[in-house]
Amino acid sequence: MSKSNSIPAAEGLFTETADGPRLVGSRCATCGSAYFPRAQACHNPECERTDMRDANFGPRGRLASVTIQGYPPPAPVVWSDPYTPYAVGLVDLEDEALRVIGRLRVDDPENIEVGGEVELVLASLGHDDEGRDVISWQFQPV
Amino acid sequence: MGEVAVLGLGMHPWGKFPDKPLNDICRVAVEAALADAGVRWREVDAVAAASSRFSGGKGWGLNGNDIVEEMGSTGIPVYNLSAGCAAGANAFNVGYTMVASGMHDVVLVVGGEKMPKGFIQTSGLDDETDPEYLRQRCVGLPGPGFWALLTRQRMAEYGTSEEDLAAVAVKAHQVGQHNENARFRQLFTIEDVLKSNMVSHPLRLYEICPVSDGAAAVLLCSAAYARQKSTHPVWVASSAVATMRFDDGLPRGLACVPSKGRAHHSEARISVGKALEGAGIGAKDLDLVELQDNTVYYELAFPEEWGMCEPGESESLLHKGETLPTGRMPINPSGGFLCFGEATTAQGLFQLCEVGWQLRAEAGPRQVPGAKIGMAQSIGLGGNGTAAVLKR
Repeated sequence: MSKSNSIPAAEGLFTETADGPRLVGSRCATCGSAYFPRAQACHNPECERTDMRDANFGPRGRLASVTIQGYPPPAPVVWSDPYTPYAVGLVDLEDEALRVIGRLRVDDPENIEVGGEVELVLASLGHDDEGRDVISWQFQPV
Repeated sequence: MGEVAVLGLGMHPWGKFPDKPLNDICRVAVEAALADAGVRWREVDAVAAASSRFSGGKGWGLNGNDIVEEMGSTGIPVYNLSAGCAAGANAFNVGYTMVASGMHDVVLVVGGEKMPKGFIQTSGLDDETDPEYLRQRCVGLPGPGFWALLTRQRMAEYGTSEEDLAAVAVKAHQVGQHNENARFRQLFTIEDVLKSNMVSHPLRLYEICPVSDGAAAVLLCSAAYARQKSTHPVWVASSAVATMRFDDGLPRGLACVPSKGRAHHSEARISVGKALEGAGIGAKDLDLVELQDNTVYYELAFPEEWGMCEPGESESLLHKGETLPTGRMPINPSGGFLCFGEATTAQGLFQLCEVGWQLRAEAGPRQVPGAKIGMAQSIGLGGNGTAAVLKR
């Protein structure tokens, strides 16, 4: 896949590091609260002082829940033509106090176990109107 | 704070009315509430209205101004309240507060909505600062998918089956069939529900509420005013509004901080807790509850989260018929959102009308026998929650 033929689903939400893909968010240095996407201020009412730092999250987590999208949703949702139902998971990232949603990259959405371990990948959700791959974070079983 | 009476209840039936202007739909509800109360429009001191994102209001959510113009511009103050799907009940809280404070004697609370087709979408703007937009664009999780994630967690935790989910919808239509204001009044079997299209696994089409058009109005007044008009009015025992807590574990955008206990709608739990406390009762003292069943999941989860029953007990209460109007814990005798569909900003007010009619023993075949105290509850985008307890 050449660079010009792919675009991120949104800017600044994920990055490829030497250790693999990561989500880009923030963490409050005072209370430790994690945010994705980035937050300018700490939303924790117990926190005494906002001190937001950029933070990368991932790659491992546990699948807390899952759903399968039964019908093709309208824009701005991106999917591959012809439509095949895809799975979306709720993932508790390891050690990072962050629960995040993401599309699941699996061959058989019907047979996903809640509780299983998953890892972050950057992959195409489908094509946009100009035929470009739209890249986003996804999770796949480990 | 003074006592506040619910003197008038009015509704335009829920449905799809492509050829009927929103103002006509709202006027039917307002005129019905005024007639029910025996109050003339010129006696109304103020209007608290739900602001709609989808229809009317001159594109600015000025839906209360539309109604005042329609009914006659008497110069009264208008408050347009926005709280997503909780807007109608939020307006009720503001109307209640204004009467209770003594600022106004007679306040009309109204919500009316004509909805666009299909499931409720994002703001419509490709705005990368809007978490709802990012959720659709980067993940592809429409509203029903969010409910499905919650449902699947319940299934993993309590062993809730797809048949249990379907049984909630069956029960909703069993009672909603008797409600002339409800849109979907046909009876379903478990098999019918399980055969309906899969929307977001495990939730099927008949297990989530579609959008509707509709309007409802409630006329509130002071105790002194009420006694001139009625010998036995319905009273507001309490009205509460809340917003979500930081750490309730619900990923409303792309992510959240995990909760210590079960993930839940904290805005609902807080507003219900405040309403029960304000009414001086416990959750098990309620004779009926109209709760926001956008999907069958909520009818199972909410009563447990609010202490109406034990965690994991909802399915067995449902199967024993205890959530029917004749049961120990009547839920949504109106038929709920599943039978009405969602005219977003009017929802909280159809619920309050139902509670009022139930307390007046005017609910016919769906009547909760001997109902004396009931609660209406709604939630809306942005983490808005409301609850109000009515008594007689």
